[in-house]
Amino acid sequence: MSDSSPETEGALVDEIRWVEDGTRVALTLDESIYPMDAIYGAAYLFVDRCYVFLSREGDRMVEVRLKPKGESSSAALQALAGELANELLNQVLRVRIGDSTRKIREYYMARAFFSTSTQSSIDQLLAELDQEELAEDELEIQVPWETGGAGGG
Amino acid sequence: MINSGTIRLEHPRLDADALGPFRFGRIAGKVLLTHDTGEWHFLSEEDFQALLAGQLTIGHPEQPALVAKGFLREGMDAEAVAERFRRKKRWLGMGPHLHVVITTLRCNQACKYCHASRTDMDRVDTDMSLETARKVVDAALQSPSPYIAFEYQGGEPTVNFDVIRFMVQYSREKNRYENKTVEHSLVTNMTTMTEEIGEWLLANDVLLCTSLDGPKHVHDWNRPHTGSTSGTYDQVMHWIQWFNRRYVEMGRDPNLWHVDALMTTTRKSVENWKEIIDLYVSLGIRNIYLRPLNPFGFITKTWKQVGNDMPEFMAFYEEALDYIIELNRQGVQIIEGNAAIFLKKMLTPDDPNFVDIRSPIGAGTGQIAYNYDGRIFPSDEGRMIDAMGNPMFELGRLGELSIGDAIRHPTVRSMAVASLLDSLPQCSECWNAPYCGVRPLHNYMQGKDLFGQRPNTPKCKQHMGIARLLFERLAADSDGSLDRIFQRWTIQRPRETAPGPATND
Repeated sequence: MSDSSPETEGALVDEIRWVEDGTRVALTLDESIYPMDAIYGAAYLFVDRCYVFLSREGDRMVEVRLKPKGESSSAALQALAGELANELLNQVLRVRIGDSTRKIREYYMARAFFSTSTQSSIDQLLAELDQEELAEDELEIQVPWETGGAGGG
Repeated sequence: MINSGTIRLEHPRLDADALGPFRFGRIAGKVLLTHDTGEWHFLSEEDFQALLAGQLTIGHPEQPALVAKGFLREGMDAEAVAERFRRKKRWLGMGPHLHVVITTLRCNQACKYCHASRTDMDRVDTDMSLETARKVVDAALQSPSPYIAFEYQGGEPTVNFDVIRFMVQYSREKNRYENKTVEHSLVTNMTTMTEEIGEWLLANDVLLCTSLDGPKHVHDWNRPHTGSTSGTYDQVMHWIQWFNRRYVEMGRDPNLWHVDALMTTTRKSVENWKEIIDLYVSLGIRNIYLRPLNPFGFITKTWKQVGNDMPEFMAFYEEALDYIIELNRQGVQIIEGNAAIFLKKMLTPDDPNFVDIRSPIGAGTGQIAYNYDGRIFPSDEGRMIDAMGNPMFELGRLGELSIGDAIRHPTVRSMAVASLLDSLPQCSECWNAPYCGVRPLHNYMQGKDLFGQRPNTPKCKQHMGIARLLFERLAADSDGSLDRIFQRWTIQRPRETAPGPATND
């Protein structure tokens, strides 16, 4: 389980408890500190090396268990626990920055794709074609191909 | 025995409301920030902590660049960010520009890694007919893209050369009314090349690309003739030199007009990487594209004999990349193709629209493949899976399915969803997302799942590995000399056709 306490203004120090039995290691996380998206994101990065199990240990408490796919040792399992903890820090940042900047991203993406200056090239081409007088077409190559009018070779 | 303990984690101070949207990762002892627009910036760990805490403000030496690149909210020009993002993604909605045409499945080679599922030379039933070829041109020119590239593949496409000749001529005629920019490129093993065909290709500006896997002992081991242990190295070398000489005789700039070559990396290639690069340099080839094996076609049966895993490929790639960089420092003009794609995304405001490394992938929306029998696929890989007996990715038939129908096809939509990095686990937060692309059909071949699990996909290891190598080297580039080399790799000069007869029938 996690014990957390505010240290300096805005900063947080947390202690994550781990347990290993020589074949797998489990970390217990407090969801109020580690949102589920951060837990999923961190755990996902281990799926190439480990079998990953998530379980609900109590109200807002989640256990992440990693079982390496190959040989393992206590030292390797403890290193895995440290790696997961570091990744949790990164993932919490990503989630919080993502939440805070979501509207900015949505704004510039909307401006990029849906403002008037992004009129599709299809519309532009159609407008040009409407204004264009096509020349004589003895070979009938303007006939839309899907009508079957341009067959033969 | 059970052990337990605690890990003490100090969470950084975070003033998220001071920040712009960004992704981050740690590379070369620094923190790399990347933006949707492709902008990136290295910070020391100390400055990164200050950025997170909202303490990297006016007066800090990093502040102006971070504002300009959209990493800090105060002073951010959201309209400019939108414009940069629009430019990066301007290919969205343009429609397919790459039209892969399988003129035949017949081939006289039995390459150990053949992805194309070739057939024997007597299988004329796998030749495309002129009627189908005509429908291909009609369909391709229906694409809304103002730029159309026909790429002739096989089998060995020149075995059915009449179809190529017809498509070049017919598309030229038809394009008088469409006014698109139309290019033709031929991917050939050179074994059925003749001077007559060669002169016609030159006169009609058909671009040439061949397979050259390295020096004779490597190339011939990878690419033997059917039913023989003899390879095709001598023929390939002869024709590369013949074409390149003819380009010069025609007054073409050899920097722009020359035979391009592709290599495929087998176990044999890895052992001989330096010889391969030296050979390309000696032939004046300016772009070597170090490609790993793809999980399609015959390679699925021969992998144990010739294949290499991704860590082995990336070790080879790193050595080869550093050697190519060193050659550039000595004044040799050669670039590595994968690196050039990533660098264009990293160092310029544009995106090369390489259909296999973009989000979403270009299958069906940037590329269409036409099988010899008139069936349409979203990509050549979809066609290759069909050739292995699985028609799942067939979109329909020429004459029955319009290009618009193909672009909107549920299969194409599925592939777009499966390759949209913003919605994929790990990719959505990965620092490499602005430069990367996933390959749903590779995922499908490996796990029967278009999405795949990113940490388990070799393409993720390849793309992240390449981008990491490039950023590591840029981080160490204290005098800007590497940046100047890399900038050169991003420049694409347009080919201009020399005056002369347009056709030579």
